[in-house]
Order: sequence, then C-alpha cells, then structure tokens
Amino acid sequence: MSAVVTHDLSRSFGAVRAVDRLSLDLPAGGVVGLLGPNGSGKSTLIRMLLGLVRPSSGDAAVLGSPIHHPAQYAARVGALVESPSFVGGLSARTNLLSLARLRRLPATRVAEVIEIVGLQGRDREPVRRFSLGMKQRLGIAAALLPDPELLILDEPTNGLDPAGIVEIRSLLTELGRSGRTVLVSSHLMAEIEAACDWIVVIRFGELLFSGPTSELLGRTRTYVDVAPEHRADDDALASALTAANWPVTYAAGAVRVTADRTDAAAINRAAAAAGITLSRLEVVQDSLEQVFLDLTGQTDGELAAARANRPHGQVTR
Amino acid sequence: MIAATRSELVRLARPRLVLGWLGLVALFAVLINTVMFSMAGGDQPPTGPGVVFPDDATLATVDGLVAGVSSAASMFGIVTLSLWALLTATDYSTGLIRLLVAAQPHRGKLLAGKVVALTLATAVATTVALAVNVGIAPVAAEGAGIDTSTWREALTVTLLAQAWGNAFAAALVWGVIGLVLAMLLRSSALAISIGVGWVLVVEGVVASALDRDTPWLPGSTLTALAQGGNDSLDLAQAAGLGLAYAGVGLGLAFVVGWRRDITD
Repeated sequence: MSAVVTHDLSRSFGAVRAVDRLSLDLPAGGVVGLLGPNGSGKSTLIRMLLGLVRPSSGDAAVLGSPIHHPAQYAARVGALVESPSFVGGLSARTNLLSLARLRRLPATRVAEVIEIVGLQGRDREPVRRFSLGMKQRLGIAAALLPDPELLILDEPTNGLDPAGIVEIRSLLTELGRSGRTVLVSSHLMAEIEAACDWIVVIRFGELLFSGPTSELLGRTRTYVDVAPEHRADDDALASALTAANWPVTYAAGAVRVTADRTDAAAINRAAAAAGITLSRLEVVQDSLEQVFLDLTGQTDGELAAARANRPHGQVTR
Repeated sequence: MIAATRSELVRLARPRLVLGWLGLVALFAVLINTVMFSMAGGDQPPTGPGVVFPDDATLATVDGLVAGVSSAASMFGIVTLSLWALLTATDYSTGLIRLLVAAQPHRGKLLAGKVVALTLATAVATTVALAVNVGIAPVAAEGAGIDTSTWREALTVTLLAQAWGNAFAAALVWGVIGLVLAMLLRSSALAISIGVGWVLVVEGVVASALDRDTPWLPGSTLTALAQGGNDSLDLAQAAGLGLAYAGVGLGLAFVVGWRRDITD
C-alpha cells in the first residue's frame, strides 16, 4: 500500500498556485524526503495531507483514506508542522499530556516519547525555558505520541546542534526501518541524502522528481579538476585537453574536465605530453545540492523572477 | 468532545492563569463592595460604564449581600471575555491549533471541548466571585453604617443560587462574545480591545445616537441578566436575548472554525 497518493492536487491562495496539479505516489515504509526551495509548496502540501488546509481541486489519500476525511487516519499519523508550538507556561510533560488526552492515549505514552527524544530530566520544566532545539525535540515527541504509521515532519532538525541533528537522523532512519513511513521536509541536502530512501522534489508546487534517492544521486556528474603549475599555462592546458576530446570549462580556479574518474591518469599524461606540469589533479562529484539546484533553479532571486515570468497555471518541466 | 474537553482542561490548569483569573474576580468583588457600600447614602445610586449600583433600600436588605456580583456584572464580564478571547486567540497566534487539528480533525469537537472547558472554568470563577462577595459585603456594609443583622436570618440557598446563576449566565455570554471575536480576529489584543471598548464606550454612544431605550444591546441585556431582571428587561427577556446572542455567536464560531484554513 502507498503511504500517500495525490492526484492532480492543487491549492491556490488568491492568484498564487501554491500546489499545482501534483500527482505523487509515496511508498509505505522508509524515509521520504520532501525537497523544494522556499515557497515551493512543501508546507501547503503537508497541511493538505493533515487536513489543515483544503485542496482547491484534485484528490489525495493518506494511508488509504481520502484527505477530505482526515479523521479517518488522524490516529495513525503524527506530525510536526513548521516550528513546534506549545503552551509556554506548562511543562513539556503537561503539554504532551494535553495532546495525549486529545488523542485518548494513556499517560504512560507521554513518558515513552519523552525518553525517545531524550528529554527526560528536563520534562518537568516550563517549555518557555526551552531552547529551540529542545522545543524541536518536544515537537517530535508530540508527533510520536500516537505511535504513528506515518510521521510527517516539517524541518525537524531546525535549531538542533550537530549532535542533535545526528541523533534525529538516527531516529528517523530507525523509525523508517521499523516499517513506518517518515515524510520529512528539509532544506539540508546532506540530511536528506543521509536519511532518505525516497526523494520528492517540488518547485512552484509542481513535481520535478519523485523516486529512490539512488536514482537522483545517479544524476550526479563526475569531473576532473586540473591546475597547471603556472597559471599562465591555463589556456594551453585547456587547448591540449580539448584536442584530446574532453569537454573543458574553467571552475574553482582550475580547468574542469568533464570525465570519469578512470580518465584521471590519461588527463595527467595529456598535460605532460603538452609540456605542462600539474600542481593539482582532483576528481570531483556533484553533490545532491548541485543536482537539486540544477532541477529547481539556482537562487531565491532567480526563482522569484522565474515565477514572475511564468504565465499562471503553465507547467514548466 | 470529552477528549477535547479533558485536553483543554489540562492546558487551562496553569497556576499563573488560574491564580490570575480567580485573583482578578476576587479583587473586583472586594473593590466593588467597598466602593458600593461607601457610596451608600448619596442622593442617587451611582452608575458608570459597566456598573449599576442598587439603591440604599436594596442594600439594607439581604439582597445587599449579593449586590456586588450583579451590580458589576459587566466588569466580571470583561474579565471573562478577555480570558476566553486570550485562550482562544493564542491557539492561533502560537500555532498550537496546528497540533490540535492534526490530532483531532473534527474541528467542531475541538471547539465544543474548548467551550465546555471554559464554561467549567467560568463556573469556578463565578463561585469564587460570589464567595468573596458574601465574605466582604457584610464587612463593607457595617463599615458604611448599614445594619446587616437581618441578613443572616434572611439568607437562603435560593438567593445564593439565583445570584450565582444570573452572574454565571451573564459571564458565559460575555465569554462566548470573547471567543467569537478571537476566532474572527485571531488576535487576543484586538478581541479584548473591541470587547472592552464596546462595554465602556461604544454601547453608550450607540444608545445616545439612537435616542431611545436600547435594553437589547449586549451590555444592557447582560447587566439585566446578571441582576435577575431590571426595569428595562425582565429575567425571561434578558435570558432569551442572552441565549440568542450566545447562540448566534457560537454558530458563527463553529462556521468560522470549520471553514477556515489553518495557515497560522
């Protein structure tokens, strides 16, 4: 069974189409990463899945139940949407108890989730004294309360220190391996690359990619960056390599050759044959971040310009 | 709805909130009785925005024991309106509503749970107001030279129950008005400003502008309800109008809560 299926799902806010005819089929089990630049519609999609926002058109199902009836699956879904929000004057434990009462869960479950996120010892302190990282952990604890089949986390590592990020990544991986589906949105590519089995990339509310992480990583390219001992030889080196049929550009203070890592020795020989001694030869591979930027565009400014230039409703794939 | 009520009660049980709410109604009860009895004996019973004091003859009877609660019903109403508005609007302003609706997508049940929990809290606050009033009124009356020797014999459970019921009913409608304003405006500051502004200023201006009796306006209606009826509206009329205000308000709150996207 699929964890989430959407079919031509759209949602507009005035003239802005936040989610645009999005069709997805996310497999159950494992960690699914939801990637997209700011304003790409990630949060709106998550809110629609949780019944917080109604779609303008299209339909979707969560754990087999239609999103028009979120009560049918709410007990099987846990969520952290944007920044965690709690009553500051109440302790972490009491805040969780309040949510447990709402979900008709026993109070013993509160202690369990506090332990899972490592808040034991601080759980009786007022939440207003918590750091952002601790609030984030509390938000994840709240999402884990119903022991969910589907866990939806919006930027769960926001505000966490490096150790906390590693901890949460391990937790997500563990939850994914236990048969649950974890849908996690993040801007941290390294995070997504390390933790996710499946990746969804959206832009302007449109689907750009949905598939296994390995498939997206398969789109990365390999380069060999070479630098001559004397910078004056840059052009001569580029000419020699071009003559040997390697595509060449200039990047990062070096001559960048689009080639496989196994070509490194041949490139070195070609440079030597042209009488150029190399001071650097380095095999470089695109990061997931570069693949993401290639898919979605580059900076926020460029994205804003692209959105402004796009006729309303036009699909740009 | 029971689960939503229990959840809301856990969030309401904040020591600062409870002490603040109950402390405020107790303080009002003390202040009103002190002022009311110290001004007894004047030519006219004093009135002001949200306050209508009884005449000396009434104060001399056992009704004087509970007059503080009914006389300043609008003041207690403002406290109730403010707290209902605050506790509703902060769900939206803090984003807590996201967690709540994700856990209980039946928004009607969530809202009903909140209303029931706040109603219970208002009942406790009314009880505290009445208890403090009953404790302070004889002291204030004797300090003003009013003979209270007959009060003890004339005091009945019915009198206390009626005073409590009237004050509670009026406070409840004020609370619902606060809840509706908070849901519409999603801002406790705006909701409280409008509510307080209405009681202290706007209703008086509207009444003057219309140049005729306006007992049907919310402030006047709820004052009459808290007093158990007065010259303008009898208890049945006041209760009917109060019920209508509450019904329309709750209907509006449920429609807004049901239809509105949660983008906070």
